[in-house]
Amino acid sequence: MATIIETRDLSKSFKNVDAVSGLSFSILKGDVYGFLGQNGAGKSTTMRMLLGLIYPNSGQIFINGTEFNNSRRYLLQHIGAIIERPDMYGYLSGWKNLEIFAALSRQQIPAARLHAVLEQVGLKGREKDKVKTYSQGMKQRLGIAIALVHEPDLLILDEPTNGLDPQGIADMRELIVSLSREHGKTVLVSSHLLHEIEQVATRMLVIHKGKKIVEGAVKDLLHPDETLVEVVIMKDATIAGKLAGTQWQQHLQASTDTGLTFKLNSKYIPELSKWLVMNGAGIMEIRTKHSLEDYFLSLTNDEVTKHRTV
Amino acid sequence: MRRFWLLVLALLFLQGSVYAYDAEQLYYKLRDKVLLVKDYTADVKMKVDITYMRIPMLQGKLYFKAPNKMRMERKGGISILPRKNVNLTLNNLIPNGKVTVIDAGIGTINGKAVRILKVIPEDEASGIVLSKIWIDETAMLALRTETTTQNEGTVIMDLEFGKFLKYSLPDKVTITMDVKEYKLPKGITMDYSEVTPSAAKDEKVKNKKGVIEIHYLSYAVNTGLSDAVFKGEEE
Amino acid sequence: MRLLSIELYKIFKRPRTYISFGIVTATALIFQLAMMSGGREFFKFGMQNITEQFDVQGSIINGYLVAYLILQSLLIQIPLLVALVAGDALAGEANMGTLRLVLTKPITRVQLVMIKFIASSVYTVALIVWLAVVALFLSLLIFGAGDMINLKSETFVMLLKDDVMWRYICAFGFACLAMTTIASLSLFLSAFADNSIGPIISTMGIVVVLTILSNLELPLFDAINPYLFTKHMIGWKGFFDNPVPYAAIGKSALVLVVYTVGFLGGTTFYFNKKDINS
Repeated sequence: MATIIETRDLSKSFKNVDAVSGLSFSILKGDVYGFLGQNGAGKSTTMRMLLGLIYPNSGQIFINGTEFNNSRRYLLQHIGAIIERPDMYGYLSGWKNLEIFAALSRQQIPAARLHAVLEQVGLKGREKDKVKTYSQGMKQRLGIAIALVHEPDLLILDEPTNGLDPQGIADMRELIVSLSREHGKTVLVSSHLLHEIEQVATRMLVIHKGKKIVEGAVKDLLHPDETLVEVVIMKDATIAGKLAGTQWQQHLQASTDTGLTFKLNSKYIPELSKWLVMNGAGIMEIRTKHSLEDYFLSLTNDEVTKHRTV
Repeated sequence: MRRFWLLVLALLFLQGSVYAYDAEQLYYKLRDKVLLVKDYTADVKMKVDITYMRIPMLQGKLYFKAPNKMRMERKGGISILPRKNVNLTLNNLIPNGKVTVIDAGIGTINGKAVRILKVIPEDEASGIVLSKIWIDETAMLALRTETTTQNEGTVIMDLEFGKFLKYSLPDKVTITMDVKEYKLPKGITMDYSEVTPSAAKDEKVKNKKGVIEIHYLSYAVNTGLSDAVFKGEEE
Repeated sequence: MRLLSIELYKIFKRPRTYISFGIVTATALIFQLAMMSGGREFFKFGMQNITEQFDVQGSIINGYLVAYLILQSLLIQIPLLVALVAGDALAGEANMGTLRLVLTKPITRVQLVMIKFIASSVYTVALIVWLAVVALFLSLLIFGAGDMINLKSETFVMLLKDDVMWRYICAFGFACLAMTTIASLSLFLSAFADNSIGPIISTMGIVVVLTILSNLELPLFDAINPYLFTKHMIGWKGFFDNPVPYAAIGKSALVLVVYTVGFLGGTTFYFNKKDINS
């Protein structure tokens, strides 16, 4: 598949604080690309650089193979974006806001398209109201409508579920998936919540303190190799020592008198439990964690900064 | 030889016997003539030449009624006349009432021989301290007056006669007067100050005389103007 | 053209825009009212010097004079009203958060600056046209036309009734230019800020400080004085002098144009490099 966005060694610092450093990644056409990181990790800064709002100190951005700075205006015609809060002209109606931003996209967009997109985001019937009377969720929907109205190939959505109620979050998820699957759009979506990314993204990148931690297909990152296995045992001070020199030691993440944590492919769980029993461990419970959540948390919380690519 | 004759001539003049009237007679005769004009309405053009004033040529109607009423009307426009007690009219510059007249000899104005009188009014209320009058004796016309007032300095009035001689009214009156300084704080006026050349500034300081020229285009005399005409807006 | 009409729509849809029109109207009305009741007394004071020696008759307090006095007193307010919109042009959008959305659309920053400038100028001209309506035409309606007296600090100028209107037209034209300079200054300051209060207040501060400087005429500032745009902003008054100092007015206009281009260039240069973090 063709690469739609590629960054090479992108760096940006604000007043000596590195917001993004040496970031390289590529997004393929048709991807729902998840951008995962805690608040302040550099997601928004990166997205702003991709849109030309912020100029990188160094590095390059290619969109559809074209250096971004050289054809910013052309490229932006094919991009729709929401960056952080969806701020609009509060004193104007939703319809007028949509009309203004549609006109700014430099294409002739018929009114029918505006109606259609309002329908799509579920704002139909409220478009004549002033935006200042909208709830956060409605503003977010209008933001999506503005991002979609000119039918861009690429959508850059910064935390699009912020401020949405659970139904709204589900709707948004559904919308993103359908945009990708049914309309063939490429979506770059950021979040600080892994489960959001996990549910929509095909590929993802974890960013922490401006640096890439890991990038890859979500299914690869969810590979059983990465399963965390927590074994709760009856108090036994010797069992950790017995692990030394065995094949399990390399998978051991943590150990106490009452618990052992391994990271391994889940298919080895029966074999692991058998070995533990044979070595006298009284197993009370075995818990596994398949989600990337803990992985992500452990990576970021432990301030792991080493590069890993799966 | 020539000097001798001049001396003789001078002596003759001083003696006064060659004149038709003595000074006092001459003055009253002139005054009587001036007083013949009870009122007039005149079309005038007025040129104001005062350093600090930039006023275009003003055209309008000048109303006069003896003894001292005067008003200029400019079809709703603004008119500017010197203050009443140094009014433009001869009647005002020639003191009324009892006066002391002193013969001040002879002179010439524009090539015309004139007699010069000094007139001191006894009535101080007129504001006039001293009037000096240059009189064309043959035509019985005042060609110039120089009036020293209590408050307004000295006002010189030059009169030229021609078309309206039958009423003894002038075609043109030129008034030269002392002008007080004019200045407003810049903080109030917020001037847009174009650069004033220093030469012009110097001139300003020296030249404190204002000149007002009135050209009379036509007169309607003694039509019995009512006082109401003069009850216009003031100031 | 489309972008400009959008920009104008945004400006003229905002209630705040009409505050300026309201302020201009209110100032004019208050002034007219004051002139109606106490105009003579007020003017007597200014004319003291003259009336001591001269008898000035006729309708001194007429529409032309009242309009002039209104313009004079609005000298300080109008820049504020211009700044209210021009200072808000970029900073206001940054504050609202719409700037980042606008800039993710395919328009260049230079384009945006130019459109903001043109739109602010259109607003400025509209404001001055409105000023002409309420200050001049309304005054003429109330007080009638007449010869106009212009009291300068060292000169007393009188203009004939039929000789005034063209001067007003020229003066309003010049005012448009001067206020466009203010608009460009506000826009320039607006590029640096992320909320509109800063640029509005700074514009006012600059105008007030420089106006004081130009009026002080201290020898210390003689060297810079001719280059202060505030000195040239009141060039419109030149049209009410006799003779009209065309050379000086032309020079003032040139200075204002240079400032405007300078501010605009500065805005474009800075804004083009600016990171949009709002």
